[in-house]
Amino acid sequence: MEYGYYPGCSLTGSAHRLDKGIKKVFAKQGHTLREIPDWNCCGAFEYGDRKELTGFSKRNLEKARGHFSEIVAPCPACYKNLKEADEEREFAVTHPLDLFDEAFFAAMKQARDLTGQVFTPYYGCILLRPKETAIQNTNIMEETIARFGGEVSGEAVKDRCCGGNQIFINKDVTEKLSRLVLDRSQGTIVVFCPLCHMAMKTFSGERKVVYYTDLLLHIMGEGGAL
Amino acid sequence: MPKTEQALELTDYGRQDFAVCLGCKICASVCTVNDLSPGTNPQEMLQRLFLGQDVAADEPLVRFCTGCYRCTGACPWEIRIPEVIRALRHELGTESPFEKAFKGSVSLFGRVYEPYVLMKAVPFLLKGGYMKHVTRWMEYVGFHLPHKVKGM
Repeated sequence: MEYGYYPGCSLTGSAHRLDKGIKKVFAKQGHTLREIPDWNCCGAFEYGDRKELTGFSKRNLEKARGHFSEIVAPCPACYKNLKEADEEREFAVTHPLDLFDEAFFAAMKQARDLTGQVFTPYYGCILLRPKETAIQNTNIMEETIARFGGEVSGEAVKDRCCGGNQIFINKDVTEKLSRLVLDRSQGTIVVFCPLCHMAMKTFSGERKVVYYTDLLLHIMGEGGAL
Repeated sequence: MPKTEQALELTDYGRQDFAVCLGCKICASVCTVNDLSPGTNPQEMLQRLFLGQDVAADEPLVRFCTGCYRCTGACPWEIRIPEVIRALRHELGTESPFEKAFKGSVSLFGRVYEPYVLMKAVPFLLKGGYMKHVTRWMEYVGFHLPHKVKGM
């Protein structure tokens, strides 16, 4: 299947690993991601004027019109902004986590399992709230870990805020909130949001922080140890 | 017109919309800002907005709201308090140098070009003690030329 792809700014920069990961996972499953032509920034969380913020994503939807009916946006902020801007529900704006269903795993070629490894699946905020734009299966990451034999930790903090969007405003805020999550969980932290990745990575010390796509690719046999 | 009133015009809310607030304070019980500044109560802020009173830029909720939407998730009326706070920040002019650089990049390129944002925010990053984290951020480094979005 072909999807319209909205990478957003961070996936073309600091979150390039998530961009490559998503493209690889989709390619391995026989899906094509085709970028929305000349897309612009979604505005993330930076604009106080609701109309201005929505305007950014409306422009992107305009550029997708006639090319795509289903748009995939991996960055949670981009996904939320795009989905909210699509007031008439003209497109199926989808987060990749909602595409990792039973059919996906049935078709997935497994080369490794996660036995003996502990993971903290960490969703943060925007994937889970507000409910209008939340992902469908809010246990998908722990189900994946358990499915392939891994141990799940940190269930109580999976929806806490890491303070990622304050990292370049009030760093102490991010440190305190991220440490609350880190102190109440164990093992490798699995995230999907680039901001969560940066917040966790900055303060996680020896603990590893990986994208969910890294985890999938590891199970599929890509690369070395996680 | 008070700045709080002007701020509300940037949101999907009017002052009267907060009349539905039941005063249950469930927003306060889940608010992330309480982990940073105990006693934070978004309901009290909504009440002041409803009454047309001022909200100050240095209040913990305005300064530290992370936009986590825990309040919205818990609220019986699903009031989007983070969006109200974002509008207040806009109207009160509390943008950090990083946020200004972010918007500068969007104005210039139509996208956030991280090298531009970092360059603009260097004094802030140096002063703010960010350099000690640079080794942790090496995996984020990559180089690409900026893309200029047409018509932006």
